[in-house]
Amino acid sequence: MSTNPGIWVSVIFTLAIYSFLYRDNPIYKIAEHTLVGVSVGYYAALYWHTTIVPKLAIPLIEQGHLFLIVPGALGLAMFFRFIPRLSWLSRYPMAFVIGAGAGLTIPAAIQARIIKQMSATMTPFTSINGVILMIGVLTTLTYFLFSTKRKGVIGVGAKLGIWFMMIAFGATFGYTVMARLSLLIGRIQFLLGDWLGIIK
Amino acid sequence: MRINRQIIFVFTALAILIPLVKPIGFPVHITKEVQQVYNAIDELPPGSTILISFDCESATIPEMYPMALAVLRHSFTKNLKIIGMALISEGTAIGQMALTQIANEFNKKYGVDYVYLGYRPRMDATILGLGENIVRVYPQDFYGNKIMELPMMADIHNYNDIPLVVELADDSYLISWIQYAGARYHQRIVCGTTAVMATSFYPYLNSGQIEGLIGGLKGASEYEKLIDKPGNATKGMDAQSVAHLLIILLIALGNVAYYMVRQRAEKV
Repeated sequence: MSTNPGIWVSVIFTLAIYSFLYRDNPIYKIAEHTLVGVSVGYYAALYWHTTIVPKLAIPLIEQGHLFLIVPGALGLAMFFRFIPRLSWLSRYPMAFVIGAGAGLTIPAAIQARIIKQMSATMTPFTSINGVILMIGVLTTLTYFLFSTKRKGVIGVGAKLGIWFMMIAFGATFGYTVMARLSLLIGRIQFLLGDWLGIIK
Repeated sequence: MRINRQIIFVFTALAILIPLVKPIGFPVHITKEVQQVYNAIDELPPGSTILISFDCESATIPEMYPMALAVLRHSFTKNLKIIGMALISEGTAIGQMALTQIANEFNKKYGVDYVYLGYRPRMDATILGLGENIVRVYPQDFYGNKIMELPMMADIHNYNDIPLVVELADDSYLISWIQYAGARYHQRIVCGTTAVMATSFYPYLNSGQIEGLIGGLKGASEYEKLIDKPGNATKGMDAQSVAHLLIILLIALGNVAYYMVRQRAEKV
């Protein structure tokens, strides 16, 4: 069994979290709240040391890059959200972030997620995969045609679209089960290996 | 008909616990997408620099860490130089831990064979910035060293000097890499991700926007097999398979019970 105090802390919190599987209880709550508190502290320290100091404080104070006062002031303006009377000031940095974000994202998303994906869908019908892909895309899109009655070809297409979506959801669910079990396997490996030393 | 859910939990725990203690040794088959990641790294000439972005949280360590270790081992075996970084805050510590562990295993020297840049917020701006000038985005590395003073970084300025990006992401962060580094700078990208996210990324694999994909613990175990270094992913796959069999059985039982209850209700 491990004598490392760090391992023991991890074990106690792991078991505290899993105690929820029996029922909600104060030990689980303590572990949950500790996780939230530690995470916030970690984020604050990380942002301070990796962003505020090297990207703002040092260039502004030591190197005299005065233009950094503008983003610094905009960043500080975000905190006005906590003062209801002055909360309107926080809209300026938000507007900047949303505007810059949209400007960066929209052209890139159109290129990478729409045009490129559309062209990848239009594969020649030389392989069975290409045919299935095309039928899948068209019938799934047909399901989302809400402006016409689902009769005739549209109705058949929509029904086929549901089948394609169900297969996709099934694959996603299967992968999700695998992912969740992997997390449990990781914890049990930790308990049996790092803590108890039963497995290597 | 009701089964206490705690009974299912106990069976699931046993299905995982027993194969971990007494391994069965189910075979691991290499899938095309994992082989593609391996090939992309393997075909790089020695001395090339790859960038690995550790964009995963501690909650997904069981899936992401084994694949990070496997990719790092492969890269150092091939004498590639590695730039590590993180675009989400929790990934910072995970990346540093993995990179240091494997660098020590291979006796690699910091600043010469590998560099860890650490974390930057606003991933879209960071990814775009790396395409222009790395030093402008990361004037200092994770440890506070000036990037320009690190020997390895002397000839590395932007994506032009980095033939491959390996994105290890437990969420949709890959899309930012595809949008900004891939579409704009034509950067080659391969990805390792959690099983939950894998299905979302297959369209990008089919379209050629990423060159390979490692999905979840299964993908990590395949990579461990490719580098002939079995690790936690390989050890976990027996448990994974047995637990999957149990879940298939439970789903079948649930459906049978559902039809029996419905038939009984119809008779009444």
